[in-house]
Amino acid sequence: MKQFRSMTYPYVAWISVMIVVPMLLIVLYAFTESGNDVLTFRFTLDNFARFVTDRVFLAVLWRSLCIALITTVICVLLGYPIAYVIAQLPGRGNTIMILLITMPTWVNMLVRTYAWMGILQDEGVLNGLLSVFGIGPVPMIHTSFAVILGMVYNFIPFMILQIHTSLDKMDKNLLNAAADLGADGLHTFLRVTLPLSLPGVISGITLVFLPAVSSFFIPKLLGGGQYVLVGNVIESQFLTSGDWNFGSAISLIMAVIIMLSMYLTRKADVSVASAGKE
Amino acid sequence: MNEAKRSGVGSKIILILTLAFFYLPILYIVIFSFNDSRSLTKFGGFSLRWYEKMFADSTMMEAVGYTVAIALLATVISTIVGTVTAIGLTKSRRILTAFVERVNDLPVMNPDIVTAISLLMFFSVLAVRKGFLTMLLAHIMFCVPYVMLSVTPKLRSLDPNLIEAAMDLGATPMQALTRVIVPQIRPGIVSGALIAFTMSFDDFVISYFATGNGVNNISILVYTMSKRVNPSINALSTIVILLITLALGIVNLVPILREKSGAPSGAERGVLKRRRLVLASVAGILTLAIVVGVASGSGSVRRRQQAAIEKYGSAVLKLYLPGEYLGENVISNFEKEFGVSVIVENFDSNEMMYTKLQAGDAYDVLVPSDYMIERLIAGNYLQPIDHSLVPNLNNLADAVVGLDYDVDGKWSVPYFWGSVGLVYNHENVDPAVIKEKGWDILHDTDYAGRVYVYDSERDSFMMAFKALGYSMNTDDPAQIEAAYEWLRQMNNTMSPIYVTDEVIDSMINGYQDIAVVYSGDATVILDENEDMSFLMPDEGTNIWCDAMVIPKNAENPKLAHEFINYMLTYEAAFDNSETVGYASPNAEVLEEMSTQEDLYAENEAYLPRSGYERDEMFHDNVTLQRELSKYWIRVKAES
Repeated sequence: MKQFRSMTYPYVAWISVMIVVPMLLIVLYAFTESGNDVLTFRFTLDNFARFVTDRVFLAVLWRSLCIALITTVICVLLGYPIAYVIAQLPGRGNTIMILLITMPTWVNMLVRTYAWMGILQDEGVLNGLLSVFGIGPVPMIHTSFAVILGMVYNFIPFMILQIHTSLDKMDKNLLNAAADLGADGLHTFLRVTLPLSLPGVISGITLVFLPAVSSFFIPKLLGGGQYVLVGNVIESQFLTSGDWNFGSAISLIMAVIIMLSMYLTRKADVSVASAGKE
Repeated sequence: MNEAKRSGVGSKIILILTLAFFYLPILYIVIFSFNDSRSLTKFGGFSLRWYEKMFADSTMMEAVGYTVAIALLATVISTIVGTVTAIGLTKSRRILTAFVERVNDLPVMNPDIVTAISLLMFFSVLAVRKGFLTMLLAHIMFCVPYVMLSVTPKLRSLDPNLIEAAMDLGATPMQALTRVIVPQIRPGIVSGALIAFTMSFDDFVISYFATGNGVNNISILVYTMSKRVNPSINALSTIVILLITLALGIVNLVPILREKSGAPSGAERGVLKRRRLVLASVAGILTLAIVVGVASGSGSVRRRQQAAIEKYGSAVLKLYLPGEYLGENVISNFEKEFGVSVIVENFDSNEMMYTKLQAGDAYDVLVPSDYMIERLIAGNYLQPIDHSLVPNLNNLADAVVGLDYDVDGKWSVPYFWGSVGLVYNHENVDPAVIKEKGWDILHDTDYAGRVYVYDSERDSFMMAFKALGYSMNTDDPAQIEAAYEWLRQMNNTMSPIYVTDEVIDSMINGYQDIAVVYSGDATVILDENEDMSFLMPDEGTNIWCDAMVIPKNAENPKLAHEFINYMLTYEAAFDNSETVGYASPNAEVLEEMSTQEDLYAENEAYLPRSGYERDEMFHDNVTLQRELSKYWIRVKAES
């Protein structure tokens, strides 16, 4: 197995250079005072203190986590049945559906979000449709509904792909065996299919939750700017107030919190998976 | 049986709804790419003008080439690397696996801007020349984790004894890998590749800071174009959709044809195999062509530029200015007249530009705003303008001569100037009332829920300071506190919508009644929607000026002077001002634009006030800006 192990060394070297070293620069910024003189570092914890002691920032972080969590939950709830249905399709239909779902993500996210802005306006397509039934106009743009919709639209393809991957090529003999042993459809699903697809769900959650926490274009455009999320705060620290030190500190705090929650999720996954094997 | 049928119908409904959800916005984009009016959300008749504009714009076609080339390369490389590494990790020690997993999470989790800045600093420490290669490296960096996240779950559900069994049966490790493992995890590899391609194709922020020297991707163009709601972005997206559909269609059609032709004989299979080979090589050649084409295109231009090289030392000018800030033919005319080529790069904010300068990126001409010029002078970033090389300085309008940030014009030459004011719908808002109230109209609850406020601490605090009768450059804590209260009250009683560039489109469509807008954007809005009027409040406002400067590290300062001089000519200044809608620094153009009826005489947004004592310019004050930024987040987030 030694040959396999050594296959990882190039990548470990690569990430050490391309991810770890640049990240260390961010860590350095987070722990130093701002100043024009680049050569003298004065270490400080002020940047962290500023964040932790200001309840506005904490509220912003909390709100970001909540929105990301809601988005993730909806993506799982909607994405699972969609992936399941697609996985049941015969060979070619299966591939084509997956391509059809991925294709919209190749249109620029900003352009897609602008389209949603038009669709969700009071005079937009959706309200036009509702008015046919004598409803509305229902205010949709600049509401939490719009923000969540935009986030789900943007991220759910990743969830579907991941779940689909784990359902696809699943050993059909297992399902037949379960049926032979007298399990009905629901039981087979709960006891066999679901546990086997769990790794896919977990990796889908990673792919949705992590970027959702720090996303800011969608809340900004569809939420009308009232949805200040941690992504907006970090971005404005770097790009408008030019406070790299504070921006770095916030992103470190966020990273630690998310890493912890991901660690717990993966731990849960491992224990569920091992329980399933027993 | 019945149940199976019912579930079949259920699946169909789910699939149809899913596709409707995914393709509603896409359909919207395609329809609006044929829109005659300059709006992303309101249809004004069928037209192909945005397609014409797009195909005429060589930078757009070039960007498509770069985007596809980088996305393909990044996808292929990161899929191979990610798959191999993920397989290796299953046999590695726990601690190594944990290390790689944690580090992989970083680019997925960090806001793009953090990854971007970290890479910017990293590349700047290494002093590499930024362009295609640095952008490709960055894309591979953030794509591999997505591939690994897709492959790993599939590997984990693999029976660990499979490989041992294969090797017991005499397979070499390589054979076990390619014949046993890879086929088993293929769905994971495919979805990993798809996600990697998406991420690379759609990335803006990281690409922006990792690239340079005129190498742009579609996203970078889209973001700069969205500054002025340029519907060409819809046309561009439609073309991209079309290209992708075609490519996928061809790839998928071949196997279907094979199935249709029944069980193929050996000879036929050979033909099909060959066909596949042909397809693959066509795709390969296409990629190569794009890369080579882009490279050789600049080569042939280079030959024509001998004369310019002798005169200026180099025939390339690197220009860095805000997005959508140039007349339609200004650059191509300059290139023709002087036999040079201009690389144009755009920024979204002065701070974005400053960030790139700090990292050591070199440009020949920049167009920052007044306060940023103060910062650049203080930070010793600029070289003085040699006035003898810019005879057209005589063309400057009085209003832009001797401005505070650079009183004797030693460092800068004005490019555009303007104001900040209120655009309002005079059908719904009484002009007399808004004139009397000025900025305080933003406290008038009659208009609650119908206002757009510009999402920027500087402009918002400017309004508050002016409404309260203070200087907008004040750093008196009591006055800042009062302005904060003013904004908080606005936020809590008016439920304003905070916007940036999308305000242009929204006001053209008349979605709301009042908006805080820059004068040049207001010019465009008033041009497109005749119900709209513009007001510069009596309480005073921000009069600003963007000006051309030459950085110390400019590679071609002689040509930079030539360019600055050219921009002050009547022709260039006219084209600029007519296209963009901001006030010209050229006296003759300014006079014509603001007095001729077919130009901007009847557009009250065009001409800024000058000499009004309550108007001010911003001065650079980094500590104050940070303080205001903190307060501004509080205003928006506390409600």
